[in-house]
Amino acid sequence: MRKALLGCMLVVMLAGIAPLLAHHSPAAFDRTKEVTLKGTVKDFRWQNPHTWIEVNVPDEKGKVVLWGVELTSPTYLIRAGWKSNTIKPGDQVTVIVNPVRTGEPAGIFRKLILADGRELTERPARLGTPNAK
Amino acid sequence: MSSSVSRFAVAMVTAASMAASACNTTPAAPATGSGPATEGAAPAAEPGVQLSALAPANIAKPRPKPPFELTGNWFIDTTESAEAWRFGPPYPKLTAAAQVHFDASQKAAKEGNVYRDDIGQCWPAGLPLIMTRYWPMAMVQIPTAIYMVSGFMNSLRIVYLDGRPHTEPDIIVRTYNGESIGTWEGDTLVVDTIGFRGDHHWMDQGGASIPAGEQLHIVERIRMINGGKQLEIEYTMTDPEYWEGEWKSTKRFNRVDDADIQEVSCLPDLNEHLQSTTSKVQVR
Repeated sequence: MRKALLGCMLVVMLAGIAPLLAHHSPAAFDRTKEVTLKGTVKDFRWQNPHTWIEVNVPDEKGKVVLWGVELTSPTYLIRAGWKSNTIKPGDQVTVIVNPVRTGEPAGIFRKLILADGRELTERPARLGTPNAK
Repeated sequence: MSSSVSRFAVAMVTAASMAASACNTTPAAPATGSGPATEGAAPAAEPGVQLSALAPANIAKPRPKPPFELTGNWFIDTTESAEAWRFGPPYPKLTAAAQVHFDASQKAAKEGNVYRDDIGQCWPAGLPLIMTRYWPMAMVQIPTAIYMVSGFMNSLRIVYLDGRPHTEPDIIVRTYNGESIGTWEGDTLVVDTIGFRGDHHWMDQGGASIPAGEQLHIVERIRMINGGKQLEIEYTMTDPEYWEGEWKSTKRFNRVDDADIQEVSCLPDLNEHLQSTTSKVQVR
């Protein structure tokens, strides 16, 4: 597959995930696609209602594109093994996202791969419902 | 504004807890007030002024023991569907004023766009959607009221149980969660809510946008079921500006004992870092 961005791989994905429905509509994101971002963390904000990561990702011409990645709240990230210092500016990371439909450099989080190979995801935003859909 | 609302909400819950505690353990102060409404406490409210739900004299009034206590954290039950947060389908027959929004949101959804996501732009979700956000609703019940604070933007909702009537229409301050008055009917708490804001207020979203107007009237029949592990709320909603007849929906909520709500604010810089909220997919 020809890459639109160096370090960004577009993958057609069949499985959906539970919508992140809290602050804003999840409909902006294309849940059928994944983009793999390989770059350097510019900022990581551990906060409610949403945690977010900004990643500088070089494109095929070497131009750095700033991607915004939207995550759920720390309430659910903690349950998936995250801490406020899991990543910090300057870290080399791989982040897999469902991109916004317009091609703008933004997406909703699916998976983080740290430089040491550890992988982190997030838990669906559900509490009190063991068999939640 | 959001942070001040948040602080207020937290303060109210703290005050409610303290008041409930005081109610259970502390004798009423000597009476100095005017009439039966203030008997047993000081200082008194001005004559004709509704005593606060947190006034010791109000809390101390003799009342029948309520059939259940809502105090706890409650989260919409999504066991049967991830779409349980919606109050439709089925939807009632919409008026032309609502249909135009519904159709526009369906068109936007088909095109991969998002129609008027006011909640995403930091407007309050409002009732009824605030009850089914994917965040717990913390509830603290005292004899005179139930204080609800959503884990979503710390949205505050107060259900008064002290027998007060609704505020007169010419002085009511309209809000997104409205003014709620609760009365006990057997094993059911019946909550009547009016006084809504009619702008940037939606009954549904995501391809089914239906506005909520100032005539919105919501009656909730709340029962505690499954040994206190679940709430069942039967919603009956009318708003002649936007739909015909009664819109009914029944929701279940699960008790959450392993998480507390936190301070959550829609700060001015939030959406600067959530690019999807400012993306070209957003249809205003």
